[in-house]
Amino acid sequence: MHVLVCAKRVLDPDGVNGYALWGRLKVDESGRSFDTGGTVPRIINAYDEQALEAALRLRDAGVDCRITALTVGGEDAGEILKRCVAMGADRAIHVFDAEAQTDGFRVARIVAALVGELADVDLVLCGRQGSDYDQGAMPGALAEWLGASLVTMASGVAAEPGTDGAVRVTRAVPNGEEMVRAQLPAVVSVSNELGQPRYPSSRGMLAARRTPPERREATEFVEAGETATVELVQLIVPDVQGQCEVIEGEDVRTKAAGLMARLRERGLLNV
Amino acid sequence: MSEHVLVLISAAPGATLRAADREALGAARAFAEGRGLAVACAVIGHDVQAVATEAAERGADRVLVADAAELVTFNGDRFIPLAVAAIAATEARVVIVPRGPDLLELVPRLAARLDGASVMGVVELRGDAQDVSVVATAFGGAAHAVYRFNAPGPRILALAPAVAEAPERVAGRAVANEPIAPSEVVPRVEVVTPAAPLEGPRLEDARVVVSGGRGLGAADRYSMIVSLAKALGGMPGASRAIVDDAWATPAQQVGLTGKIVVPDIYFAIGISGASQHMAGCSNARCIVAVNTDPQAPIFRYADYGIVADCLEVLPELIRLAGDPGA
Ligand SMILES: Cc1cc2nc3c(=O)[nH]c(=O)nc-3n(C[C@H](O)[C@H](O)[C@H](O)COP(=O)(O)OP(=O)(O)OC[C@H]3O[C@@H](n4cnc5c(N)ncnc54)[C@H](O)[C@@H]3O)c2cc1C
Repeated sequence: MHVLVCAKRVLDPDGVNGYALWGRLKVDESGRSFDTGGTVPRIINAYDEQALEAALRLRDAGVDCRITALTVGGEDAGEILKRCVAMGADRAIHVFDAEAQTDGFRVARIVAALVGELADVDLVLCGRQGSDYDQGAMPGALAEWLGASLVTMASGVAAEPGTDGAVRVTRAVPNGEEMVRAQLPAVVSVSNELGQPRYPSSRGMLAARRTPPERREATEFVEAGETATVELVQLIVPDVQGQCEVIEGEDVRTKAAGLMARLRERGLLNV
Repeated sequence: MSEHVLVLISAAPGATLRAADREALGAARAFAEGRGLAVACAVIGHDVQAVATEAAERGADRVLVADAAELVTFNGDRFIPLAVAAIAATEARVVIVPRGPDLLELVPRLAARLDGASVMGVVELRGDAQDVSVVATAFGGAAHAVYRFNAPGPRILALAPAVAEAPERVAGRAVANEPIAPSEVVPRVEVVTPAAPLEGPRLEDARVVVSGGRGLGAADRYSMIVSLAKALGGMPGASRAIVDDAWATPAQQVGLTGKIVVPDIYFAIGISGASQHMAGCSNARCIVAVNTDPQAPIFRYADYGIVADCLEVLPELIRLAGDPGA
């Protein structure tokens, strides 16, 4: 089975949170990115790392699979592919695309064309959404354009007993978990319920050094100058209005009583 | 015939409109108003007449219904052709989808099939139907992004919570259902083992939610969160940090990737107030924060705050909740 894992490089969300939490998040002059003085690293989107982990667990479970890691992005985006190979991917492809990485439809179009060229991809694994723009458009659009099955919110992927034409996917749903069977080819997007991805092994890190990503150009797959389907015009940092009444009191007991009294006064408590 | 904004609702059997559906109808009405547009609503599911009736009572000018036994649960392969038919019948350029568990499949697939575009987490619609642009949440809510579109097909927009008011319900306002004929599809994805039916109340419906975070310091102290929730007649929630550490279960997680709750009171206890957490609770009527750090961002969102060790505050609150006279 040929498994393609799609990964995106994002601003480290913890780093962005660090700025946001203290009210220091600012938009830069371009209006479309943050001014963090270059202090927030760009890392592999955590959901995508979990998608790779899902592929590796499939292989660990004895499914004969080749795993190709793919990213579409600018010059440095290929960095995350090193980590993918170090974790266990067999091959890495970097489709160079200088366009802004906010348009999942463009990325899906590029990946769909590449999958067509590779011709033998059975399963595409992606993260449920980018932790930057939270859109999650890419897996759905890709499945649609490939005519493949789509399963979102996966927390586990396994072989389907008795056939190699399908996979069995566990999904995180509001009531807990459900299990579905998806015909191949399929696009499966993975959610954080999958659990911790593994750390790269030292053997993997050696392999990463020996396996540089193959470089391709976006213009091989979409026309040069094609406009974005969804175009980011501007980023805004919303103001959070603080109007908190801090309950004072000489000790915890009085503070707690003061709080409960206010909640009861406002009719918010029935007890 | 005027152009339509279409609201796309997938409804469970015998259900009534969910709060999210009513908000979507409200957002559609607000967008239609002053732009010479009418509101259409497509309801897809099985045994959905109550939803169709309420949609009309809440201002839908046209109601399209796809009702069939095989639509009893969401299946993208079955739903998308029906949504496509509803869009074709109403010639909608702007399609509004209420938040729900199936958005990650429904929204981008529909956009891709129709050569359109989609955005999730929309908080504001701008422009007109021919040239709509949107503001949506990004970075877990720490930022907003303004998007415009360059696609021939319709714009499929999924709403963030609480961006619009429910339109008033006028009993007896009725429009004839227009049936959407189900199409023959053999789904590529089938459920083998469904999730166990949910027992008991849902966190999303709780009037009081008491959530704990890493400030609790250790797993066993989550029991105090459960006790306070119980004493207040509410339900316990959690930050992702402690769900990841297995102090609480995934079903209890509140936030961007957890449950979205809208209680009368939300207690954030030992929770810092990261945007991804607030995405799940910032629409509570009243937020109470307990945190040792007076600078914690949660106090920017809270209505009431106690700056103290939650391990000392929790026993007091539990005691007071159990004794209304205190
Ligand atoms: C893509 C993505 C999605 C995410 N989705 C979610 C989500 O759905 N839900 C979610 O919750 N998070 C989510 N997160 C994580 C989020 O960014 C935060 O990391 C998380 O909410 C922090 O949890 P916390 O507040 O419990 O912990 P911390 O941030 O560690 O905060 C602990 C707080 O407790 C306080 N404290 C410490 N000791 C005490 C004490 N004794 N008494 C009182 N207060 C004390 C501290 O001052 C601090 O404010 C997501 C992150 C990403 C990147």
